[in-house]
Amino acid sequence: MIRWFLRGVSRSRVTTRYPRGDEPAPAGFRARALLDPDAIDEHDAATLAAACLPGALRVTAGGGLLLDGSRCIGCGLCVDGSGGSGVTMDPGYELATSSRERLVVGGGVREGDAAAATLGGPFRRSLHIRHVDTGSDGAVEQEIAALLNPYYDMQRLGLFFTATPRHADVLLVTGSVARPMEEPLRRTYEAMPEPRVVVAAGTDACSGGIWTAPEVLGGVDRVLSVDVYIPGDPPSPIALLHGLLLAAGRVREASAPRAGSVARAAEAAG
Amino acid sequence: MIASQERTVDAGALAPELERLGGRLMMLFVAGGSGDGDRELRAIVRPGEPVIVVRARVDGNAYPAVTPRVPAAHWFEREIHDLFGIVPEGHPRLEPLVHHAPEEGEVRLPEEDDVRLEHRGAERLAGPGVFVIPYGPVRSGVFEASQFLVQTGGEDVAYCAQRLFFKRRGCERRICAVPLDQAVLVAERVSGTSSVAHALAFSHAIEALAQTEVPRRAQAIRRILAELERLYNHLEVTVRECEDASLAVAQAQFAVLKERLHRLAGAVAGNRYLRGVVVPGGTRVDLDTGAVDLIGSSLAGWEREWRRVLSVLLRTDSFLDRLVSTGPLSEQDARDFGCVGPVARGSGIDVDTRRDLPYDGYPPFEVAGHSDGDAMARMEVRFQEVDASLELIREAVASLAPGPVRSAPGPFTRDTALGASESARGETLYWLEADGERTVAFCKLRAASFVNFGVFNRVFDSQVLTDFSFIEHSLGLSPAGCDA
Repeated sequence: MIRWFLRGVSRSRVTTRYPRGDEPAPAGFRARALLDPDAIDEHDAATLAAACLPGALRVTAGGGLLLDGSRCIGCGLCVDGSGGSGVTMDPGYELATSSRERLVVGGGVREGDAAAATLGGPFRRSLHIRHVDTGSDGAVEQEIAALLNPYYDMQRLGLFFTATPRHADVLLVTGSVARPMEEPLRRTYEAMPEPRVVVAAGTDACSGGIWTAPEVLGGVDRVLSVDVYIPGDPPSPIALLHGLLLAAGRVREASAPRAGSVARAAEAAG
Repeated sequence: MIASQERTVDAGALAPELERLGGRLMMLFVAGGSGDGDRELRAIVRPGEPVIVVRARVDGNAYPAVTPRVPAAHWFEREIHDLFGIVPEGHPRLEPLVHHAPEEGEVRLPEEDDVRLEHRGAERLAGPGVFVIPYGPVRSGVFEASQFLVQTGGEDVAYCAQRLFFKRRGCERRICAVPLDQAVLVAERVSGTSSVAHALAFSHAIEALAQTEVPRRAQAIRRILAELERLYNHLEVTVRECEDASLAVAQAQFAVLKERLHRLAGAVAGNRYLRGVVVPGGTRVDLDTGAVDLIGSSLAGWEREWRRVLSVLLRTDSFLDRLVSTGPLSEQDARDFGCVGPVARGSGIDVDTRRDLPYDGYPPFEVAGHSDGDAMARMEVRFQEVDASLELIREAVASLAPGPVRSAPGPFTRDTALGASESARGETLYWLEADGERTVAFCKLRAASFVNFGVFNRVFDSQVLTDFSFIEHSLGLSPAGCDA
């Protein structure tokens, strides 16, 4: 045991300063797609929509292109297809929102850029989290477990996993809801004391992702009312941290996945 | 491309034919249209070189079961019964597998104790003090949905039954329903921690259908990604075992090593699970010089740290005590049930897809092995494989010559193809049947976990309840891959 003790104290600190400081995201990381709807013509819109597996890019009735960020799996096929104009990839990690509408850009949908808000509610300090898998691909669970590693160390922020739903404030759900898991999901939720918050972690949980009926019902919001959506396939640990802190009302929610404003800001800076 | 022979037999002759061929049963499934008349069983076996595909037409709704002669067929035949209503007559335990049994929480014990059957050796236990713990599908901690029914008198585990398929997402149907260039994205998400292995196995099948040659540079990139994936999966198992042994510092240090691999993956591939790179015909993106240098320099430092932490772990008695002689899997069981990957290699079976069904230009390497068959043996196989993977990555980086990374597959020139790869969990298989020149009409996939989960109830002989998590994690199973 003395050897482990010595190893433990001889390592330098690796823990991120997030949310007090920023966490650098690697260049080229594909967390989600960003869309500038004005830069896409009708022909491109149809091509891009046809190339999108989960249907995150869709052609609207008016012929414009819409990006539903709750469905995006970050594969990047749209960026290949668009030649780099109109669609770009966002390497960021502050992606969580309190509604699915906030993740939508284009198609004349009202955007809530101005209304970036923190969730109110009773949870300000410590959160106890109960996880339920309803049909994930298995990677999200590992990203959630990574929150306990020294890089993220979520316990420093007062976030804890709990074995029983009766002690839980947050229900953290991963995966699109496969039929056999609908009932266990409901029963876990019902076992939780109020107030309680439901967090959908990952694109599958947010919208059903690439999976379709009859095997899956869709996103978690087909079964329960969802308070926080964390898109990503899978969401990185730091993105999960942002979502959980949003559930606690300690950070602001993400802005809509609009490319134009980012590009214009970069232009102005350059 | 995998060399294969086809032969056709009567459904009645399938079981004796498979017993006669011997070797390992890789897959058994029903292919064909929805009409009753054209349903055909396909068995894929590997008695040696080449792989043999046995076809057998099912007339009516029943055929003599294969399982009594070839135990490895046991889950395949239950799946066939659930999905198609075809009855394998004489199957020892034809209860629902993919569709859930109606009575939850009940342990079903076998009717007979035939030594060749799935539950050989299991004893009926009854009486006061014997109870069943239904563990899952919502389990304590962060786990995938799966359920284990553990029958115990308090400490000794009398029997452990596994219930899966809570998260069946219809992967095979989805693969056939989407355009070809998007299907590989579905394959990547069958088992999200083995994305590269699934994308490779699927791509190998497509490349076989279209008889496409993968450029050498793409082959080397694929090997780098596949071995990187193996590293972080083996680290995941190590982290879990340290957690089970309550070694907090060891858990943290291996978790740091695992996180460093995911960060490297994110930096070189844009995804922490290496998705979106492997495509049929090669890779979608090239690795630039910066990425290649990053891999080389990151892994050099990573390897030094790994050796230091591992050497301390292997001298930690409280770790070794919990794993040695825990969860023994006999060589006979591993062979009979067709186990693959570190589970098979830890029980003295010399099997590795990278060598047996070669792909993507893997150079000769020493296949890891151990004969003890316990949890420690499976871990030692993984530790050996970490070394081998680091060496294979170094070799692949050195062999990266300039050139194209993709030759897009042309029209299909064959009707059927088998694609294979070795994930961190073992052999991953995709069987595809083409309709015309561009369409996949039928897909059957088999993740390593589907067969390895089948022996879960075999490794609890004279084990105690507190060993459960050690045993489970040493098998390194993926419910997502099994359920598909």
